[in-house]
Amino acid sequence: MALLEVDGLKTYFKTQEGTLKAVDGISFNLEKGQAMGLAGESGCGKTTAALSIMKLLPANGFLAGGMINFMGQDMSKVTGDKLRAIRWRDISIIFQGAMNALNPVKRVGDQIVEPILLHEKVDEEVALKRVKELFELVGINPNRIREYPHEFSGGMRQRVMIAMALACRPKLVICDEPTTALDVMIQAQILQLLKNLQQELELAMIIISHDLSVLAETCDLLSIMYAGKIVERASAVEVFSNPQHPYTKGLIAAFPNIKGERKMPASIAGNPPNLINPPVGCRFAERCYMTQDVCRQEEPPLVEVLPGHFAACHFVKPMGV
Amino acid sequence: MPKELLMVENLQVWFPVRRGFVESLTSKEQRFVRAVDGVSFNIKEREIFCLVGESGCGKTTTGKAILRLVEPTGGNVRYYGTGLNAAMIKEAIQRAVSKKLMSKAEAEEALSTGAIDVRKLPKDKMKMLRQKMQMIFQDPYESLNPKQSIYDIVAEPLVVNNLGANEADREKRVAKALDDAGLRPPKHFMWRYPHEVSGGQRQRVGIAGALVLEPAFLVADEPVSMLDVSIRSEILKLMLDLRDKKGLTYLFITHDLSVAYVFSDRIGIMYLGKIVELGPTEEVIKKPMHPYTKALISVVPKPDPRMKTEKIILKGERPDPAHIPPGCRFHPRCPYAMEKCKVEEPDAIYVSQEHWVSCWLAAGEGKTE
Repeated sequence: MALLEVDGLKTYFKTQEGTLKAVDGISFNLEKGQAMGLAGESGCGKTTAALSIMKLLPANGFLAGGMINFMGQDMSKVTGDKLRAIRWRDISIIFQGAMNALNPVKRVGDQIVEPILLHEKVDEEVALKRVKELFELVGINPNRIREYPHEFSGGMRQRVMIAMALACRPKLVICDEPTTALDVMIQAQILQLLKNLQQELELAMIIISHDLSVLAETCDLLSIMYAGKIVERASAVEVFSNPQHPYTKGLIAAFPNIKGERKMPASIAGNPPNLINPPVGCRFAERCYMTQDVCRQEEPPLVEVLPGHFAACHFVKPMGV
Repeated sequence: MPKELLMVENLQVWFPVRRGFVESLTSKEQRFVRAVDGVSFNIKEREIFCLVGESGCGKTTTGKAILRLVEPTGGNVRYYGTGLNAAMIKEAIQRAVSKKLMSKAEAEEALSTGAIDVRKLPKDKMKMLRQKMQMIFQDPYESLNPKQSIYDIVAEPLVVNNLGANEADREKRVAKALDDAGLRPPKHFMWRYPHEVSGGQRQRVGIAGALVLEPAFLVADEPVSMLDVSIRSEILKLMLDLRDKKGLTYLFITHDLSVAYVFSDRIGIMYLGKIVELGPTEEVIKKPMHPYTKALISVVPKPDPRMKTEKIILKGERPDPAHIPPGCRFHPRCPYAMEKCKVEEPDAIYVSQEHWVSCWLAAGEGKTE
């Protein structure tokens, strides 16, 4: 059985203008030790999907349907103390803009000790020892545990956040835009660290990013989201070598490649649809170069094109047809 | 041969480090943060020159110092008067002489070459020059006043510079700028507020605000880094179109080498307040000479998992510009550092006609491998 099974997940938000369908029926599985990338433009629902798994939605957000099964438990039914026991112990998250997610008036060591003491019956001495090990693991001098966040640079703070996410030896770590605010050189350091940790500790990881090239370097699997839906899902190599959905093709073409030819990348004209009243039919139809009448009338199902490679477009050939 | 538009010589921006009371009593030497520490380059008309570097390397400060949005503390910036008429140049120089900012000899030389020394202009004449030299800012979510309509934002430079005969004339100019920036039809956007348009359209508003004065030279500071990948190239293409149609010249500032690669004509790689390598884009990216350039190129994420390339990951983070290391400033992080690098700063060495690098390795000292 997979570590995490998400099936038909729907997360909606109540807003003044109506119900916003931020995530509208997405499904995927994640095995132990696998890294999956979740890519898409801003506002496509990738962060909402991650927050739904940890049940960290804001007050106006709610699960409108579907199922999240984590280690055999139905997450939609887990509440209160049981939920608290799972959060950070089994699933942890590295937040977007993690550089600002640390408490500025607490020593970094104490901030990491806190979840360890909360979740495990150990005394502070053991916990501090663990923090030192964690610092070593993420490449920070263990003597720095008594320093405050402002004494660390951006890249180092990101490492502290990673150490914190690993504090209780979780099975699944969600990274929300882990390198977005960082410099290229620091980004390379952090990506290498994440990849090493993932392999060393056999972590399952969900990496959320709008930057396909970052995901290309770190993930085994890739899911491309558009307007609340997964439009293509396959192994990372498959997605890049054999993209099926026009949106995926557009996204890949939008990246300048420093090793390739020197030409201006293509862009995808237009804007994503409003998710309060999403269009019937394919949500990408307005921006797609191959739209026909059927696209505006009928929503394409996610079909298996090749073993393990799914795409939701009227013009892909399902396997065996 | 295209005409020079801008010449930057040994530009310096040093910020004094604030001293505590006790420190000032013990009269320790005043220390400086040397944000820009001797930068030289030139830009020709209709050229796109790109400054690339990590955050804190001084690339934005360089851009601002050229427009005197921060005051340079040393060096020269010469603007060759593109877009200005002879009378305007003469008036500006006379004003500078009467304010004793420029000597008679300097004024005569400036009049004969038509080059204005940006650093020596009085403040009120700088305003005139800035009509021809404008800036596009990084974050379209923060650089637009949320309480102003798009018309007010774009018309503000006209108001400040007292341009436009009347309201109707201003509206015409704003409409033209919006149209040039690709916000069509302008009427549809003019009376909206920034929150009512998308991120890409916001950046177009920022560009329209720079275009409304009909400048000749634009400093574009990371204009696409906050935008979604799918709309980045639209903005870049708009900037290229504007160059072709209006003959604009850009100083493009970015940390993203892959954007610089597809967009610019020449690249300067900055490290800790200095340019360490400069040359035509294709040559710098395909045949980098400086170890820092090589490392930067190797860590750019490639949008293809099948392309596994060797990465040169530099240890540590960039050092503090308040404590610049002696010798070559890159030597503490350089994988090839030699004894000489620790004591002596390398000069620019030309490896081809337009491509220079400041590294002892290029001078034939030591071995790379």
